[in-house]
Amino acid sequence: MPSTPKNSAHFFINAATVAAELSVVLTEAKNISLEAMNAKALVARAGDNVRTFKPITDFMVELANDTIWLVKEINREALVLSRTSLSDLHSADAHERFKQAQARSRTAPFGDTLDPVAQSASHQHHQQSMQLKRHMRKLFELLDEIESRMLAANVVTATSRLEAATAADSYQASLEGIVVKLEKAANRIKHIASKCRHSLER
Amino acid sequence: MKVVKLHEGRSHEWLVFGRDEERPSKIIDTNQYMIKTANHAIILDPGGIELFSAMLAAVVHHVPIQQITHLFASHQDPDIISSLGLWDKTLPHATLYAPWLWEGFLRHFGCNSIKYNPLPDEGKSIRLDDIEIQFIPAHYMHSSGNFSVYDPQAKILMSGDIGAALLPDGAPLFVEDFDHHVEKMRLFHQRWMPSNRAKKDWVRRVRQLDIQYMAPQHGAIFKGKDVNRFLDWLDELEVGTGV
Repeated sequence: MPSTPKNSAHFFINAATVAAELSVVLTEAKNISLEAMNAKALVARAGDNVRTFKPITDFMVELANDTIWLVKEINREALVLSRTSLSDLHSADAHERFKQAQARSRTAPFGDTLDPVAQSASHQHHQQSMQLKRHMRKLFELLDEIESRMLAANVVTATSRLEAATAADSYQASLEGIVVKLEKAANRIKHIASKCRHSLER
Repeated sequence: MKVVKLHEGRSHEWLVFGRDEERPSKIIDTNQYMIKTANHAIILDPGGIELFSAMLAAVVHHVPIQQITHLFASHQDPDIISSLGLWDKTLPHATLYAPWLWEGFLRHFGCNSIKYNPLPDEGKSIRLDDIEIQFIPAHYMHSSGNFSVYDPQAKILMSGDIGAALLPDGAPLFVEDFDHHVEKMRLFHQRWMPSNRAKKDWVRRVRQLDIQYMAPQHGAIFKGKDVNRFLDWLDELEVGTGV
């Protein structure tokens, strides 16, 4: 994506917005972690009755931990992106102003003394643009990763439903409740990740 | 941008840059000054970010940029020095003289390479090749940390916002009719200058100087007898009328 003052301005606002949106994902990930603890306790209490649910609770713990780590990474990357896009905006502005000064001083006796400064501003702008692209790519990769984890969570909730249906009656409702909460949290995280992606792609 | 030579001596020149016809509308017109000696140049109140390109282009008609070794900011206002971040890229080895009071504030404009030389409240003098440049305290005129610049050899006082006038586009660069000009200055001084005590102090200091030109950052330049007329007028004027 070419870096122009306009889209840099857009990035530095939206990247900061992404960081803010992610606080909701963090809350949801912590909810998954809590539900995973509940599920573990339930599985321990129920023993052989819900033995097949054990790998699912392990997955939930792993999912919660991974999501929390990913959110922290995305948050860090979004703030870096916000800062980088602001620097890119400044470097684009400086580059433009030096270009204007060069254009206006073509006939000036010392006009050529501007050339090294203008070249340096152009180089800096190019470097900033490259850096911006790198950070953008990294942020999208992290968002991809979180979305793919949530897709996996959807598959697991489908399996969990089947397992819950075959469990003893006294545990069925509790297990189904856990599955529903996991599904809701995964969908909400997926929705926010996709919203973040769209706001960055806009 | 219009460039006028205010003084041309054996050792140095004073140039005034202003009346930029291409400046964006709604931006107050400003006068920038440059003192050029054999090996150095200092830009006084280099101006806002919006006129940086025009200013830089105008400057290289007179000096190579390597010769600009010093900058001066009378105070912290954006029309004075919001271009600092760009000058910082242009003149990484230059020194900026500005009030100590504003150092932490001015650095927000970007001052990573330029050396900030904080001016003490009592002022100081520097030498640029063979000439002496004096930074005269002008605190609260209007900014709480504020300096004028005096060149005893050329007898020029760069007075910053003191003597400023809000003039229409295309107005003459020098005061032609003092009595008429007064009305263009009254509101500016009454509303922007906060302290009668500070005003008296500045007038007292400046009366001791031999001044041929008094060069403000906005409006028109006073020459000869109009300088004293201005000092008399300011001495009598009630300022700080906003409350």
